[in-house]
Amino acid sequence: MSTHIPRVDFGRRVLVLRHRRIAVRLQWRSVVVCAVLAVAVAGTAVLALMTGSYALDPGQVLSALTGRETGIVHDIVVEWRLPRVAAAVMFGAALGVSGAVFQSLLRNPLADPGIIGFSQGSYTGALIVILVVNGTYAQLVGGALLGGMATAVAVYVLAYRRGVQGFRLIVVGIGVSAMLASLNTWLILKADLDQAMSAAAWGAGSLNGVSWDQVVIGGACVAVLLLPAGMLSRPLRQMELGDDAAASHGVRVSPARLGLILVGVALTATVTAASGPIAFISLVAPQIARRLARTAGITLAPAALVGALLCLASDYLAQHVAPTPLPVGVITVVLGGGYLGYLLFTEARRRL
Amino acid sequence: MSNISLTRRGAALAAALMSASLVLTACGGAGDGTGVKAAEAPGVKAAETRSVKAENGTIEVPVNPRRVVTIGNTNLPFIDLGGKPVGVTEASDSELGVLPAEQKAVYEAAEIIGSNGGEVDLEKLAGLKPDLILVQFHSSDWDKVGKRLEAIAPTVLWGLDTEWKAFADAIGEAGNVTDALSRQKTEFKDKVAKIQATYGKIIDGTSFVDVSRGDWSDPGTFYIADIGCSEIARDDLGLDLPEAAEGKDPLAYESLPFEQIGELSKYDVITYPVDAQGRPTAPFAPVVETNTWKALPAVSSGRALGVFCPGNNSYGPVIRYLDSLGSALATLPSQK
Amino acid sequence: MTALALRQDGQGTETVPGPRRRLLGLVVALVVLVVLLVLSVMIGSTAIAPSVVWDALFRSSADIDQFAIRDFRLPRTIVGLVVGVALGLSGALIQALTRNPLADPGVLGVHAGASFAVTVAVGVLGVRDAQGYMWFAFAGALIVTLLVLALGSTRQGSSPVFMVLAGVCVGAVLGGAREALQLTSPDAFDAMRYWNAGSIVGRPLEVVWPVLPFFAVALILAFAVSGPLNALALGDELAVAQGVRLVRTRVLAVIALTLLAGGATAIAGPIGFVGLMVPHVARWIVGPHQRWIFAYSVLLAPSLLLVSDILGRIVMRPGEIPVGVVTAFVGAPVLVALVRRKKASGL
Repeated sequence: MSTHIPRVDFGRRVLVLRHRRIAVRLQWRSVVVCAVLAVAVAGTAVLALMTGSYALDPGQVLSALTGRETGIVHDIVVEWRLPRVAAAVMFGAALGVSGAVFQSLLRNPLADPGIIGFSQGSYTGALIVILVVNGTYAQLVGGALLGGMATAVAVYVLAYRRGVQGFRLIVVGIGVSAMLASLNTWLILKADLDQAMSAAAWGAGSLNGVSWDQVVIGGACVAVLLLPAGMLSRPLRQMELGDDAAASHGVRVSPARLGLILVGVALTATVTAASGPIAFISLVAPQIARRLARTAGITLAPAALVGALLCLASDYLAQHVAPTPLPVGVITVVLGGGYLGYLLFTEARRRL
Repeated sequence: MSNISLTRRGAALAAALMSASLVLTACGGAGDGTGVKAAEAPGVKAAETRSVKAENGTIEVPVNPRRVVTIGNTNLPFIDLGGKPVGVTEASDSELGVLPAEQKAVYEAAEIIGSNGGEVDLEKLAGLKPDLILVQFHSSDWDKVGKRLEAIAPTVLWGLDTEWKAFADAIGEAGNVTDALSRQKTEFKDKVAKIQATYGKIIDGTSFVDVSRGDWSDPGTFYIADIGCSEIARDDLGLDLPEAAEGKDPLAYESLPFEQIGELSKYDVITYPVDAQGRPTAPFAPVVETNTWKALPAVSSGRALGVFCPGNNSYGPVIRYLDSLGSALATLPSQK
Repeated sequence: MTALALRQDGQGTETVPGPRRRLLGLVVALVVLVVLLVLSVMIGSTAIAPSVVWDALFRSSADIDQFAIRDFRLPRTIVGLVVGVALGLSGALIQALTRNPLADPGVLGVHAGASFAVTVAVGVLGVRDAQGYMWFAFAGALIVTLLVLALGSTRQGSSPVFMVLAGVCVGAVLGGAREALQLTSPDAFDAMRYWNAGSIVGRPLEVVWPVLPFFAVALILAFAVSGPLNALALGDELAVAQGVRLVRTRVLAVIALTLLAGGATAIAGPIGFVGLMVPHVARWIVGPHQRWIFAYSVLLAPSLLLVSDILGRIVMRPGEIPVGVVTAFVGAPVLVALVRRKKASGL
């Protein structure tokens, strides 16, 4: 491991942690940013547990959490609010990492798994289940995953020509996504209003009604996927410098890229299965994280934390601040887009 | 390059932390599962109950429910039967616009608990302390929030495809508003019989078509209405109206371009939507203004009838529709 | 468009046809367009004999079928032509401006602004008249594009990359707000699901005339800046060295493309893919010469729109598919095929 630690110091303040023979070099700013983000996530989580339209005082919430309440109070805190908070944190983090992987992989600040058609494909699958088959929630999840995966595979195959080149992948993705978006518009047009609105609420991404089952299963998948994401982060870094450069550093580019795409898509797929496609986190979380931590490239850990905070805060606003409860995806778009816009704005001013 | 090693470690660290926290939450989840059963159905009191059959099984509901919440399409039918819900989901402006004033007042007095079925504010709903919840929405919404609704109070579910008369019967029974229901049913039967007796000769052997446009319709399109009010005219009154083939989408889902207005010339009588005052509804007005419409034989010979349809999923609005249709049929020239 | 590449590829080693062949191609494109205009009047979801079509245009009477031709098919064809020209040219402008072969007017927030304004009109202000939407859409598109331009500019001028990022951000924020409004107002939702599809049906010509002067201005501006935009393709420094005034060129180009895309969206709703694909194909035919790309786009874009519209009329008879849904299905396979060609990176 230590052979990969570069000897060159760019003059940033670095924190070195030593434990026996293992040394970890961390940039102070990244560490501080991650710590602050983690505290913010925890604080928002507590706030979310305490707030709701069913008035409960902090004492009741605490005693419910420690299992000393029964009936509706127990249900509200432990069965409704808690899994929702847990889901927001985990799914937000998963989306942040998945976006970071794609942006880094495609060397493009606007890439996310949507770029290979996953989002549109899963929406198409869900629409077909809701509007045509009139299926159950489980079928909806299956349809969404099937649609998303099939689209991703189709885009990959269409873009394959003696290897997959990033640029070609993006163009094919745009083309296929545009087709599916049209198909989705058409399906919504042909449907009854009630059904169409139900489908649209799913399409916006909602954490309403998230249960422990979804949290545990989804969470386990996310945890399993975060490990390979962490392990592939070195090849990812190398590939950011170009395929040739990475190959000269001993990275096997093609399998690494395929592996990373799979991890990124699988992370998004997990979230989509549990809550519908929550938009925009995977797009903005890595960008915001990069600007907060002032790192040169896309980094996974801050992206995960920003994603979690964004998702949690958005869900809080969607539930408690909006005049009527809204799907969280509606707010993530506004919040994330607005904040990224603000960052861009200040960045532009600084450059003068 | 120093951040390369950093991020990798950071990512691994984050992954480890995440996994740890997951294990913890998973344990928490498993533990809580047993807690729910102990606190089952808190809304049901020792008070007298009766059983109602519904899509979600046989439900024990209070004999005389006092605090009813209606979700999805149950709102207006329940109010139409004289029910006074404490909580409702949002109805569209176009529906509210044609509601009788006293029903609108009842709707406005109720607390809004969400815009549509899947996004109801469950905590606000629980805070209303309902003793009965009436629901009609998509089954995927039910899969999402059904269990939680049942945890708040006895919940009666109907699917979106429930036929309107059966729906009215079921709501009347579940919500204990059967008095109003039987009065409305009698009135409905009388009106149907009267129209058939008075206009039977005209109805027989005359081909009708009902055309419409919605607020939402793309400019330059209309549709043949075979669902909604004209379905009642076809099935209950026996009017000869076009119908979609078995197993196919209703004709109304197909937006037809204006150039197909000409195709309507094959029908004897055309009905189209008007407001309570008898003017073509705002969305339909552009159709009436086209030269093609004016040139239709039915239109030029006075056999295009404006009919007011305030709603089609409970007896109250349907009765108003029958009144409007009856007086429209009265204006038909006796022989075609 | 769901996303776009910020990568700026070099022009590659394309074989650029000589002026004579370019002119010949232009004539062919013109002939194709004229043929499609005729077909668009002839073919519809109702079968009307060619002789009736002929009579409707030149020997009018009060026949029902003649009304169908004169009142519906003819205006629809003209709207298709106007909207197509505007979309094609605005796409060519934005691709030249951002030096990005995958940009389309949507990235500057044109569609987002228009959709948001229409949703507000329906959901908040209670506008129910589809023709009343038009001015909201136009104003929304103009205001939002100017906002994006302001956000994406620094005092030294506007950087294309920043402009695109700003467009994506503003588009997302407005998109989210629009969705929130739609999900809380069933009326707005219902109206928007149709408007969002993008269609050229039933727009009376009276709604098109007021937009035409804007298009005329934009057309003149576009060809006026085509020279400087050529130089701009080589990079800012080289362009300045050649005497190009960066700020003025960019501002004029943005004004032109906003008027075109905003006007087209106001008339027809958001129609994607035409503005993306047509300039692409044009560049592939004539090489990196903006004036030629513009000229080809002006002829090819309405052709694509009309082909899509005609297809939309006949594949689901007696119903129709809105043209905005069809354009993607016609355009996407062509784009995928193009990018799979050998010299794909030279797109």
